[in-house]
Parts: sequence; C-alpha cells; structure tokens
Amino acid sequence: MDKKTLKHIAELSRIELSDKELEKFTPQMETILDSAKKLQEIDTKATSPMKRHVSFDSLREDKSKESLSQEEVLKNANHKENGYIKIYGELYGSIEES
Amino acid sequence: MDKSKYDIIIGLEIHVQSKTKSKMFCCCDANYFEKEPNTHVCPNCLGLPGALPVPNKRAIELCILLGLATNCDIDGEIHFDRKHYFYPDLPKGYQISQYKRPICSDGKIEINDEDGKKHTIGIERIHQEEDVAKSTHHTESDTGLRYSLVDYNKSGVPLIEIVSKPNIRSALQAREYASKIRQIVRYLGISDADMEKGQMRCEPNISVQEIGKWEYKDNGIVAIGEYELNPKVEVKNIGSISAVEKSIEYEVERIIKKIEKGEKITQQTRGWNADKGITEFQRSKETADDYRYMPDPDIPIIEISREDVQRVSKEIVELPDEKIQRYKKDYDLSDYDCTVLTADREISKYFEDVVSLLSKDRDSENAAKSVANWITGAVFSISNDLKIDVDEKNFPKKDLVELINRFEKGEITRNKAEEILRKSLENDNDFDNLINRAIKKAKESANNLEDIVKEVIEENQKAVNDYKSGKQATIGYLIGQVMKKTKGTADPNEAKSILIEKLNG
Repeated sequence: MDKKTLKHIAELSRIELSDKELEKFTPQMETILDSAKKLQEIDTKATSPMKRHVSFDSLREDKSKESLSQEEVLKNANHKENGYIKIYGELYGSIEES
Repeated sequence: MDKSKYDIIIGLEIHVQSKTKSKMFCCCDANYFEKEPNTHVCPNCLGLPGALPVPNKRAIELCILLGLATNCDIDGEIHFDRKHYFYPDLPKGYQISQYKRPICSDGKIEINDEDGKKHTIGIERIHQEEDVAKSTHHTESDTGLRYSLVDYNKSGVPLIEIVSKPNIRSALQAREYASKIRQIVRYLGISDADMEKGQMRCEPNISVQEIGKWEYKDNGIVAIGEYELNPKVEVKNIGSISAVEKSIEYEVERIIKKIEKGEKITQQTRGWNADKGITEFQRSKETADDYRYMPDPDIPIIEISREDVQRVSKEIVELPDEKIQRYKKDYDLSDYDCTVLTADREISKYFEDVVSLLSKDRDSENAAKSVANWITGAVFSISNDLKIDVDEKNFPKKDLVELINRFEKGEITRNKAEEILRKSLENDNDFDNLINRAIKKAKESANNLEDIVKEVIEENQKAVNDYKSGKQATIGYLIGQVMKKTKGTADPNEAKSILIEKLNG
C-alpha cells in the first residue's frame, strides 16, 4: 500500500484526504492488509467454497407487496423537495450512471 | 474525406427493463411509470442496514428466455456480484450485477444488412442486474447551488444487459441489430422496450481503424504490427432506434475528420443531442473503470438444472425470422409483406387470425395473399392516418373477411370497402348497415349503368357498326361516351363488360 493507491481508493469512495491524512493512514491501511494477508496464508485447498447453493425453484415468486410510505422513505433525508430526495453538489461528471 | 480507407468497428450494449410485477431483489412494485416519486421503495431499494436481497424467479426466467432466443449458452449456476461505485442513484454503494459468469453467453442473431444480405451479429453475454434510481439535475435560483433530485422508484427494477461482440460494421447494422433485439424482447413478452420511457437503452462503442491494420482476437480487436489502435468512443443518451444509426454516422464522420487532420483521438464518452443531431463531449476515460467487483455474499449461488431451462424454453414463441420463413413457404408472400406483417407480434397474430377465418371457404395461400394485401393496404393506411392499433377492436376480423369476400365477388369496389372500414370506426356507424347500403347502391348504379349503355348504343350506331364489323378499338370510344354520360363516376371496366355483353348479344 502506497500513498498513491490510498488516494485512488479514497477518490473512488468520494472521500477527500489531505496529504497529512494520507501520510497518517497509509501505514494504518498497511497493517490492516497485513492482517488480511495472514488469512490468505491458510491452506484451503482441501476445503470447498462455503457459499450456499439453492435450487431455482426456491427463488422468490414474482409478487409485489406494499412499499414504505413516501414519508418513511424521506425520513432520513437531510433535504427533500416535492417527494424527491434532494442532494446538493455536483453529482454528474466523473462517475458513470448505469 | 476518404472513408474508404477505414473500417468501422462497433459493439453495442443494450439494457432492457424486464416486465415483472416486482423488483429484482425485493417485493416493491416494478411498474414505476408516472408514479409519485419514492412510493415504490423499501429498505432494500434504499440500501438500509440489514436489508437482504432475494432474487426474483420470474426475472431470471426472462433473462434465460432471452438467452435461449438469441442462441446463447445458459450457465448451470447463477452468480451475482457487487459492482461498486459511489453515486446517489445507488444508495447501497454497489449495484448487484454479474461479472465473471453471466447467465447467458456466446449467442448470435441474424440481421438484414444492406442489399438484403444477411449478417450475423455475435452476442458476447447477457446478464441480469438491477436498475438504479432516477436523478435530475438543477440549479437553485436563489442560492445558485447545484443540486439533484432523486427518485428511488426505478432503483432495483430488473435490468437485462445484452453485450454484442464488436462485429457490427456499420451504423445501419447497429440499427438493425437494436431493432431486432427490441422485436425479440417484445415478441417474448420480456419487455415493452419503449426507448422513450427508458425501458430500453442503447450504448454503442465505436472505433475507426485503418483497413488491414487490425484483426479480431478473443472477442476484441488487436493491432497488426506497428499500428496503434485508435481508442473507442462510447455514445450515451440515445432515445430511439433511428438515433442509434444517426449518432453512429455522426460519430464516425467526426472521428475520421480528426484522423485525417492528424489529431489524436482520445477515449471518451459522448452524449447524443437529438435536437442538434450531434454528439457532445461528456467525459474522458483515461483510466479503466475500477468497480472492484466481488461476489455478493448476500445471495446464494442459484443452480439451474436442464429441466429448469427446458421449462423456460417452452415459452419461446415463433420469432419473426421463423414466421417470415413460414409465410414465404406456406403463403408465397413477398419479402415486403412478410417483414411488415411480422414486425409486431400483435399484427402477425391479427393477420394469421383473419387468414384462418378466410380459409374456411378457400385455400390458405389464396386467403393469405388477399389478407396481406388488405392489411398492408387499407388497414395500415387507416391505422396510420388515425394513429390507432391494428386489432380486433378497431378492425373486427369478421368485418374485414366480409369486405374481402364482397369485394372479390364484385359487389363493392376497393375504395368503397376502405371507406366502409374508415366509417365503421366512427361512432354510431354500424358495419352491417354500411355494407348493406353500399351493396344496394352499387346494384342501383349497376342498373343505371345498363340503361346508360343502352342509350350510348342507340345514339352511336356508326361506332356500333364499326365494332361489329371488326374494329375492336371502337370499344374505347363507346366506353368514353358512357364515362361522359355518367360524369366519370362509372367503373370503366364494368362499362366495358356491359358494352361487350350488349354488343355481342
């Protein structure tokens, strides 16, 4: 982990880090990654992946149910306008919409 | 500008919203069109802590169905992955999508190229994902601050992504391909695929390379020798099938002009501006997208058995290409008739229903030719004029059959029949009444015509004698006299046949 990688990750997460913060967090991130590395050292060749398998039939049938009320949906929003969640700032631009 | 030096290489990404009742991973109603904002939303759509996505069985069936209809291989397991990016239209911080193992892969469809040639477009993959929220962007008038309004009703609606191989070679092929995909999803009832409503979205990737300097390799293209590939340009905001073609034509021209001027092409995303008919720069893509995909731990691996696939395959209906083949083989219809009659599933059904009604008293090839003629003629002309659908409500099948029979018996003219179809669409105009009156009138004028013909024969003895002595051409003069007397209202063919009958009788 170097400063450049950390800066990139921060940008992807839309977090601004000052040089001082980058300096401080880089070794911390390294420690975290080192701990994760220890897990990767474990030999798991004989262990099959633990992800659960389900049959196609067990999936959810396509039926709709009632959603939350608009009031409930907007409850945690700092800003709202005519039923929409309102977000200040320049959103479009650097990140792609699907 | 010399276009002949260059190859155009296009890949098309198409997103289609599936027509399910509920969303992809939760039970919210998926039909969000014109609904109050943020009323089809639950903790899943909002990415609230503890919410657990549960895949919609029907949505996955529809994705498999599309894969089967486009000759794809269907995977035996379904894996969902998280595609990470931070944007308010995606409150979880990731979109549930599929990365390494799409449900369907390696398919193909055939399209009509220029000069009626067939061209096969490869499909690299079809995978299932979820749609994101809708945001609109504004500026606050009193503060000048930029802000966005977000509606989460669309967030989580099932979305199928279809990725073509880069073997689309012209703007026209791209249009034909997009239109074929739309036709297939509509035929199968997977989606209404209305581009204006955003139910279908097309994003072409376009690159222009010098001929002979590149080749296909591993589903992509590579340079030959020292040549440096021109980067590709992605076009967004395409709101119609025709804009697929227009935007690519514009973009190809723009890129070639730049190359010819010796300017560098940069990898970028551009937006189609339909009003101005141009593409506009949106953003450059200097680095590869970094979505940090990972398997979604919330969703188990779904096993698809061969029986499951078989069950889904029963939903495949006869698709346009097969219908066209059948119409040609069984009915000997023209290419044009076949294409327009199969363009829309409802119309082809209507056509087939009328053919089967009319086949009761004649052979089906003869019936089909008649019906095709009437639908592509009178019915289409009326439906275009009045902007109405071709269906039982507007054009009752038994009425059309009766008109065809009456016309072919010579009881009414083609123009009269079309007039009756038109009039019967107006209020208070009963079809039976209209047709009975028309037949009665036709008979009356036929009687009149006989009288007029008699008069003409009596008044033109010289011409009659000329005709009888072998001057066949004189008949034209006599028909002219009948037309004169009827002020041009008589049917000349009818006048001729009555004249001949009387003169020979």
